[in-house]
Amino acid sequence: MAQVLLKDLNKKYDEVHAVKDVNLHIRDKEFIVLVGPSGCGKSTTLRMVAGLEEITAGEIAIGDRVVNDLPPKDRDIAMVFQNYALYPHMTVYDNMAFGLKMRKFPKAEIQKRVQDAAEILGIQDLLKRKPRQLSGGQRQRVAVGRAIVRHPQVFLFDEPLSNLDAKLRVQMRVELKRLHDRLETTAIYVTHDQVEAMTLGDRVVVMKDGWIQQVGEPLELYTKPSNRFVAGFIGSPAMNFVDVGIQGSDSSLTAQGTGIRLAIPPVNASQLGPYKGQRVTLGIRPEDLHIAAGGDQAGYVFDAVVDVVEPLGSEILLDVKAGPNSLVARVEPTVRLKVHDGVRLAVNPDRLHFFDMTSEKAI
Amino acid sequence: MATAYLLLAPATVLLLGMLAYPLGWEVWISFTDFSPLNDHGPRFVGLENYRHLLADAEFWRAVVVTVGFAAATTLAKLALGVAFALLLARPFRGRTLVFLAIFLPWAYPASVSVIGWYWTLSPPIPTAYSPFMGTLKYTVDGALGGGAWAFLSVTLFNIWRGSSFIGVFLLAGINAVPPELFECALLESRSAWRRFWLVTVPLLRPFLALAVFLSLTTAFADLANVWLLTAGRVVFPVVGTQAYWLAIKGGQFGPASALSLMLVPFLLAVLALLFRAFDPPAEARA
Amino acid sequence: MNPRPWWRRAGHAGLLLVATVYCVFPIYFMFVQSLKTAQEDVFGNPFIVTNPTLENFEELFERKGQPRNFVGRALRRDYPFFVWLENTIVIFGGSVAITLAAGVAAAYALGRLQPPGFRWWRRAIFATYVVPHTILFVPLYQVIIRLGLDDNPVVLLLVYPTMALPFCVWILSAYFQNLPREIEESALVEGASRAAAFYRIVLPMSRPVLIAAGIFALGTIASDFMIASVFLLSEHNQTIPAGLATMEVALDELLAVAGINLMAIPVVLLCAVFARGYVRGLTAAMIEGA
Repeated sequence: MAQVLLKDLNKKYDEVHAVKDVNLHIRDKEFIVLVGPSGCGKSTTLRMVAGLEEITAGEIAIGDRVVNDLPPKDRDIAMVFQNYALYPHMTVYDNMAFGLKMRKFPKAEIQKRVQDAAEILGIQDLLKRKPRQLSGGQRQRVAVGRAIVRHPQVFLFDEPLSNLDAKLRVQMRVELKRLHDRLETTAIYVTHDQVEAMTLGDRVVVMKDGWIQQVGEPLELYTKPSNRFVAGFIGSPAMNFVDVGIQGSDSSLTAQGTGIRLAIPPVNASQLGPYKGQRVTLGIRPEDLHIAAGGDQAGYVFDAVVDVVEPLGSEILLDVKAGPNSLVARVEPTVRLKVHDGVRLAVNPDRLHFFDMTSEKAI
Repeated sequence: MATAYLLLAPATVLLLGMLAYPLGWEVWISFTDFSPLNDHGPRFVGLENYRHLLADAEFWRAVVVTVGFAAATTLAKLALGVAFALLLARPFRGRTLVFLAIFLPWAYPASVSVIGWYWTLSPPIPTAYSPFMGTLKYTVDGALGGGAWAFLSVTLFNIWRGSSFIGVFLLAGINAVPPELFECALLESRSAWRRFWLVTVPLLRPFLALAVFLSLTTAFADLANVWLLTAGRVVFPVVGTQAYWLAIKGGQFGPASALSLMLVPFLLAVLALLFRAFDPPAEARA
Repeated sequence: MNPRPWWRRAGHAGLLLVATVYCVFPIYFMFVQSLKTAQEDVFGNPFIVTNPTLENFEELFERKGQPRNFVGRALRRDYPFFVWLENTIVIFGGSVAITLAAGVAAAYALGRLQPPGFRWWRRAIFATYVVPHTILFVPLYQVIIRLGLDDNPVVLLLVYPTMALPFCVWILSAYFQNLPREIEESALVEGASRAAAFYRIVLPMSRPVLIAAGIFALGTIASDFMIASVFLLSEHNQTIPAGLATMEVALDELLAVAGINLMAIPVVLLCAVFARGYVRGLTAAMIEGA
């Protein structure tokens, strides 16, 4: 168990600056998720923690030890890879025992630990098989088992679920979470899937182009994204963005876009005051849009035309057009609308997001 | 990176010492009049040896025979090899046995099978089959000229052994191609012949190219084997053996080197062409 | 799919039969001769043996110095077959081992460590095949004399590997290049040093490709008799192929054929045992690679 400190971490390849000034304090026992699109530097960061990539500049400390110059084997970490990286010529048992053997544990201890881990993961019956005789989900479990037998200080996960089919992925997600609650080992988890990030992480780190965009608890990222990228990346379907101009007097500001005009709610008025006469990006989450009813205030509704209807059972996703803007609204499954129908939508005035056009930062 | 060079060292040193250096020497000597029969050391004569060669009708005859031999054996080996591989591609009862049978000509050491083969086709002493082989030999020699039978026997041997190698090699190639691709082809066309040319051949192209090249290189080794075995009774001149003759029997190392080097650019050109098929440039890799 | 009609299956079987006979017959023929007595060799049916005898094989192993019979007025020379066999085993085993060791090292460097220009390096190694050994005897002989290895079997341990190395490096490096990097990395994280990760993980899991490379090397090396007979002059240094080539064929035809078979049997058995591994290894190297 240990905390992990990343200080001004940088990674440069010949032409690519993959990780830029990353500072992160991962607390003991914390499950932290690095998430971002491919090429954002999340895997590189993880591999630097593992010792598989050299650090160009900066410092990594695990526990109280600076590990920059330690080879992977001396860092007391365990890693689960996307393709599981099981040793094809060894049985499941030998796969799981390999790390312990390399560390010269006594035989009895190895046996006990492998048995324990196998029990936790429900793979006792597979110990004599070779990896190629296992299904994807079973391989995944073996890979996790191999990581937990050593009781390392830190678990590293590099997209461990992305080779599984959708159903299995959800199941393994839950199991990983349960496992972490049980073992209470610090874990760093890399994924490109924001749902995984939100469900697994105590805290989530959103990265893009080598920079950390935001660090926070899952709901914090969702409700208070610090910039347009995070807002768009977290949440599915993604947040709708509309280009608007800020107009009116200080007491009654409006956001005027092409084909859409909304009043600015009082909660946002003070921050948006300085933007009067300028253009900003308005962000509305799909669930903050609903079919307008009598109770909605006039300033917060607009008209649109249905473009696509996607019924999902529990809800319906409406793709609509308001002028040139395409928006997605998440509405009740009882709504009956057809393509090309006109629809009046209302926004939830407490949940509007505004972003600066040039810096893309939240306003 | 230092590790990488260290690991490359043994292979590189072996190849440099046993191939590159002798080759370099050969190139240098080909520009001289070096001969153990001369009192003086090698004297630089420029392109003289090459000029002589190009003007020599015997050389051109050797070139024609060499290219013909290489092309004919390679084509035959490829055709047979492809046939073997396709025969074995699908499971059937007894496949292992047939596979082993096809593997046998290559696995049977050529160093000794070439001797056996040659004696079988040209029995040196009276045996039960000598009269028959003798008649055959005289018929062939009579029709095609002296030494034709010996030459033919080398050709047959090379095809026999090479087709075994190529067959097994291509079988491995077929196994390496995802079966979906062949199944997909089954939907595309009902004609097996068309499928073969439009799907199987392109899919196996890299392996075919590699096989062709390896086949070419063994063609010359086999020829030289028999030439040595028969003490030059293979009358048909081939570039490699002609050079050997010049060097060992004639002591004319300069011209011999020039002659033997004529093979290299030819093979190099073939290799450059084939590299495009079996070693495509880096961009394909992630 | 429909079951294939009987005539297609019969055709397939027929082709298989033809292929098998074509491949096996010459070897069968040689084998049959080696089991014959001299008398049957001359007067019997060439395709079968009616009184199989091992006397030709036995005779090969007769010690030097023991009297041998005359054929007419010619004394039949005796041959140190045991010594040849020993030389052959040492030289073949050693050459295959050297080829594999040097090949694996180079292939790992090219396929995995990928120093700058590794592609060209790999091509250059393969391109050495354009130089037929047959044209290099004279300069090679000079190298060998300079190394003080004239008429020394060690020569073959240096020359033979160069015949098989290019292909072995080619397939091994293609295989290493396609091996998921994570497997090695996982071993590093698990507590292995780079060297341990290589010999405990990479090497054992490459077994099929190593077998393929080894069998190819053996097949290639076993096909040479020219280099052996040019560079090994004294009788007691020769390998079986070189030795057989010095036999008086006219006198000892049956003996020679028996020698051929004796030399071939172990090689063929080795190849047969590893035949499936050979194909599997080639396939493994070719998947995505080549």
